[in-house]
Amino acid sequence: MVRLPYTTALTTLFSYGLLFAFGQLRDFFRKFVDWFKAKNVKGYAPICLGLEDFYVRRLYLRIQDCFGRPIASAPDSWFDVVERISNDNNKTLQRTSHTTRCLNLGSYNYLGFAAADEYCTPRAIESLKKYSASTCSVRVDGGTTKLHAELEELVARFVGKPAAILFGMGYVTNSAIIPCLIGKGGLIISDSLNHNSIVNGARGSGATVRVFQHNSPAHLEEVLREQIAGGQPRTHRPWKKIIVIVEGIYSMEGELCKLPEIIAVCKKYKAYTYLDEAHSIGAVGQSGRGVCELLGVDPADVDIMMGTFTKSFGSCGGYIAASKDIIQHLKHTCPAHLYATSMSPPAVQQVISAIKVILGEDGSNRGAQKLARIRENSNFFRSELKKMGFEVLGDNDSPVMPIMLYNPAKIPAFSRECLRQKVAVVTVAFPATPLLLARARICISASHTKEDLVTALDVISRVGDLVGIKYFPAEPPKIAEVGHNKLE
Amino acid sequence: MYPGVWTTYILILFFSWLLVLSVFGCTPGTAWTVVNLFHFAITYHFFHWKKGTPFADDQGMYNGLTWWEQMDNGKQLTRNRKFLIVVPVVLYLIALHTTDYQQPMLFLNTLAVSVLVVAKLPNMHKVRIFGINAEN
Repeated sequence: MVRLPYTTALTTLFSYGLLFAFGQLRDFFRKFVDWFKAKNVKGYAPICLGLEDFYVRRLYLRIQDCFGRPIASAPDSWFDVVERISNDNNKTLQRTSHTTRCLNLGSYNYLGFAAADEYCTPRAIESLKKYSASTCSVRVDGGTTKLHAELEELVARFVGKPAAILFGMGYVTNSAIIPCLIGKGGLIISDSLNHNSIVNGARGSGATVRVFQHNSPAHLEEVLREQIAGGQPRTHRPWKKIIVIVEGIYSMEGELCKLPEIIAVCKKYKAYTYLDEAHSIGAVGQSGRGVCELLGVDPADVDIMMGTFTKSFGSCGGYIAASKDIIQHLKHTCPAHLYATSMSPPAVQQVISAIKVILGEDGSNRGAQKLARIRENSNFFRSELKKMGFEVLGDNDSPVMPIMLYNPAKIPAFSRECLRQKVAVVTVAFPATPLLLARARICISASHTKEDLVTALDVISRVGDLVGIKYFPAEPPKIAEVGHNKLE
Repeated sequence: MYPGVWTTYILILFFSWLLVLSVFGCTPGTAWTVVNLFHFAITYHFFHWKKGTPFADDQGMYNGLTWWEQMDNGKQLTRNRKFLIVVPVVLYLIALHTTDYQQPMLFLNTLAVSVLVVAKLPNMHKVRIFGINAEN
């Protein structure tokens, strides 16, 4: 958890209290204004009871121009953001035909494959002409093309597991696979900050779900001991199986998972491990193979490795890599494989080309260059931001860096001012983060040049001064060298 | 869970007392009584009258429970709940002391504190007297 300065907590709570009070006041007066309006839906139950959508109506809609901005070009390091105007104080937004060219600090474009690439794009276009935009079928009927089979083998080889299976959507990969792996009578222990897809899958499986403190192998051990000793609720029979679910890089914190310690704990208590590498595959590690490579964990020690193609490979979809038996079982039982349309062939070809570039099998060393560049860019950007006095979360080498904002009023201030200065950032508030811990999340890409990063740092520093988010003291600029030269 | 919630609550009460004193220009005792009564109205409405949650994600699971009943997942007598029972009593004592136990203020303050404390007792969990406020 983030260490919240005490006065910041007081002011943030006060701001939320004020917003809440004004929202309630407006609702109160709205009730009178609507008393006299004719109601022509007599007898039907209301879709929303008054209090349910209070947060959306009175807090989110006020700043909704900071979220969901449409873009008009490929999400490269510079892209076109469509301007929107509102005539009724942000209740509805209309798109204009104007676009602004902005620096992209929000897209998950870790290796720069999101825009046209000299190796990937011609091949993707060719596969579009040959296999067309959709297979128009499910995997088990007519939707498995040569490309799908090739990609499954390639992903398994890349990640270091015997076999893999593909899905058309990253979110669905988690929420449809977890119910196939475990059911009632089983136990899922998941990190407290896991992604919504994992939470959804865990709830849908029917197994008992327990949460352990974020990234704490000691607490995980405590929870495991307590649960194994207690057994299933009420009957106290032993659990049918136990799965521990963690993520490689947590997207809202930017920090790496403590994988070696967690694997050691799981092996001691014979629990299965499920690693969600959505943000770390392709972006970290010496050759891009994810957190296992970065932290020195043997892939054979993790039972199931999941990842998505959205972030580092410039495509869409997800995969699961595990032993041949598990993949065989999933191919026969997972509804996302049996009933959902298979991945679009150009998207599959894009991933194949991207992996080949990363591995260097396209005959050049662009993959290694990209990996080196994203590592340099992330470390440079993070250290510069910290020097300026911002509160930046995340570990070194991680391309995701959230900058803490805390106060709800600073969210639209930061977002709008940065957009005015042609830098597009993504801000995140409740419910994606805890109530008091709103943040702006920056995703660095290998396609950002040094000049881009320096421009971004400049803009963020100025906006940070205006908005007041430099919570830590800034490092003074180095003047020691000048003094030394003068003495000589 | 979040630092500073209790402090913010106490600071809001103190600053609203100062506000009432400066706006109405009355005696400190009357100002404390006014603060006590507004505190009663607002906390009763939000803790013991309004039901449900401000988010639609939980699909109406808590639509029958007031905010006091939802606090700390329904566990009784946690630290938060004990603190929130003590605050109206302390306000009551301050209001009585500063008004020298005179009549109209004594009655109003006593009414406010008794309703608030009774509503927060663990025996009143999910109890709806005479069916008031029982519909979703």
